[in-house]
Formats: sequence, C-alpha cells, structure tokens
Amino acid sequence: MDHLNPQPFEKDLATALSRGREIRVPGFADRVVGAVRLERRRRTVIRWSSVITGAAACVITMLVMRSPSEDSLNRQTVALVAREESNQLTDLLGLADDLSLLTPVVDKKSSIVEVLTTPGS
Amino acid sequence: MSQEDPILSDDEDDKRLMALVAEGDDDALRMIVHRHHARLVGYLRGEVGCQATAEELAMEVFIRLHRAANRWRPDAKLSTYLIHIAHNLVLNEWRRRGRKPTTALEFAAEPGDQTHDSARRVTELDEAFQRAIAQLPTEQRTAILLVVQQELPYEDIAGIMGVPVSSVKTWIHRARSRLRDLLKDFYGPA
Repeated sequence: MDHLNPQPFEKDLATALSRGREIRVPGFADRVVGAVRLERRRRTVIRWSSVITGAAACVITMLVMRSPSEDSLNRQTVALVAREESNQLTDLLGLADDLSLLTPVVDKKSSIVEVLTTPGS
Repeated sequence: MSQEDPILSDDEDDKRLMALVAEGDDDALRMIVHRHHARLVGYLRGEVGCQATAEELAMEVFIRLHRAANRWRPDAKLSTYLIHIAHNLVLNEWRRRGRKPTTALEFAAEPGDQTHDSARRVTELDEAFQRAIAQLPTEQRTAILLVVQQELPYEDIAGIMGVPVSSVKTWIHRARSRLRDLLKDFYGPA
C-alpha cells in the first residue's frame, strides 16, 4: 500500500471524525417529547399511588391503634382474674372476721362456770 | 412558539428555553432537542459505534435533561452539559455490557465529485480511521472525539470527563500516537 504524506494525518483525522460530527435524525424531537410526556404520566401515577398507599396505611394504623391489642387484652384478663381472686379472698377474710368476732365469746368463761369453779364457793 | 433556525444556536436562548422547560413547556423542549440532537447523536455514535444505540442514549440524555430542568444552573453551556450527561451514559452502557464497543463501521463516505478511485481511497481511509478510533482505550477515544470531532476546548473536556486538563492532554497525545501506529499502512511509521 502506498504511504501517504505524514502531514495530512491530522487533516484526515479531522475529516474522518467531522463526517460524523452531526447526525440529524428526522422526527427525533417529537420522539423525545413523546417519551417525556409518557414519563410525566408515569410519574403522576406513581405519585398518586404513593399518596393513596400512604393514606391507606394511616387509616389502617388508626384502626389498629383504636382496637385493643393482644397485650392490652392480656392485661385486662389478668386484672379481671386478680379482681376475682381478690373478691374471693375478701370473702374469706370476711368470714375470718366473723370468726374472730365470735372467738372472744367462745373463749370467754361464763359467769356461772366461774362461780362454780371458784374454790371455796 | 415559533421554530428557530438550529444554526442560530445561542447560549442565552438555551437558558431561556431551559427556564420554559422547567415550567413544563414541551415546545421549548422540542426546540432544544431540535437544536442539539445532531451533535449529540454524532458524538454518541462515535463513542458506541452504533446508530440505534446512539439514538437510544441521546433520547435518555434529553429525558434526564428534562428531569433536571428545575435544578439546572446555567454555569456551563447547555451543549457541554448535554455531552457531560452523554459521557456518563456511555460509561454506564459499557459497564452494563461488560466491555466497550469494538467496531464503528457504520459511517459511509460520500465521494462527492471525486473520481471513482479517489472516492474508493477516501472510503478505505475513512473506514480505517473509524476502526482505529474504535480500538483506542476508552479515555483516549472520548478525549480525541471531543477535541477533534466536537471541537471542545481542553477545559470543557476536563470538566466533562471529571479529570484535570493535564490528563486530557496526555490522553489526546497518546490517542494521536496510537492512531498513527494503527494507520501506519497509510502514513508510515510515526
């Protein structure tokens, strides 16, 4: 192959590259605007979906917060059981009180017995 | 909005149009695309060596420009900003593919009024240049495309590539040497 003059290298390089410097594509601007509009609609849908999802999450959270939780139910059950036991104990203690009231009467010596048991009587 | 002559590209008009794009004016976006897409597609085709991929990437550049319209500050020329986005997309494309493109042979020389033999020679030389450029390392090819094809100053290229000007100069020097070496059949040893 014949060698070209080294000098035109720069010129040939510039020529070869400048050939592709500008490539005009018919209808490209319309394609871009179409793609941008599509993306804008997609973003609107995503934004509203996000808002609706957030609102739904808030509603569910409020409902959950207003209804008693499992822990709360457990606490209420324990309180009820404790109150029931307390009542039973109170009943027992009440009976005991009654017994304690009676005890002095039982233990107390009657005056007749006292007279009879007194030496010298 | 009336269509303006794309040859009358003007930085101030770009700024005005970008402000309109930020307000959602699709006609302003259409004018910006009309004004800048040819150079952008040219650069991208030089990088990736494929017209379809170049158009896809150019489309993505303008979509990203539209997304960033509210945040865009006219510190640099819009054309340079577009090339900057395009360069990042090219890097992403190569990472996605796991390799860089190796051919760029879609260009067809236009013989014009030259003789048949001369035209054939031009075509042969042109294709050899495209093959050689496709074989350059990534940074060297980008740098040589931006300086020779897009005629950008070193400072702008450094900004686009995110490197010091000295690196750009080094890459361009190495690219020229490498091209001379690859094309020694045409020009003889460097």
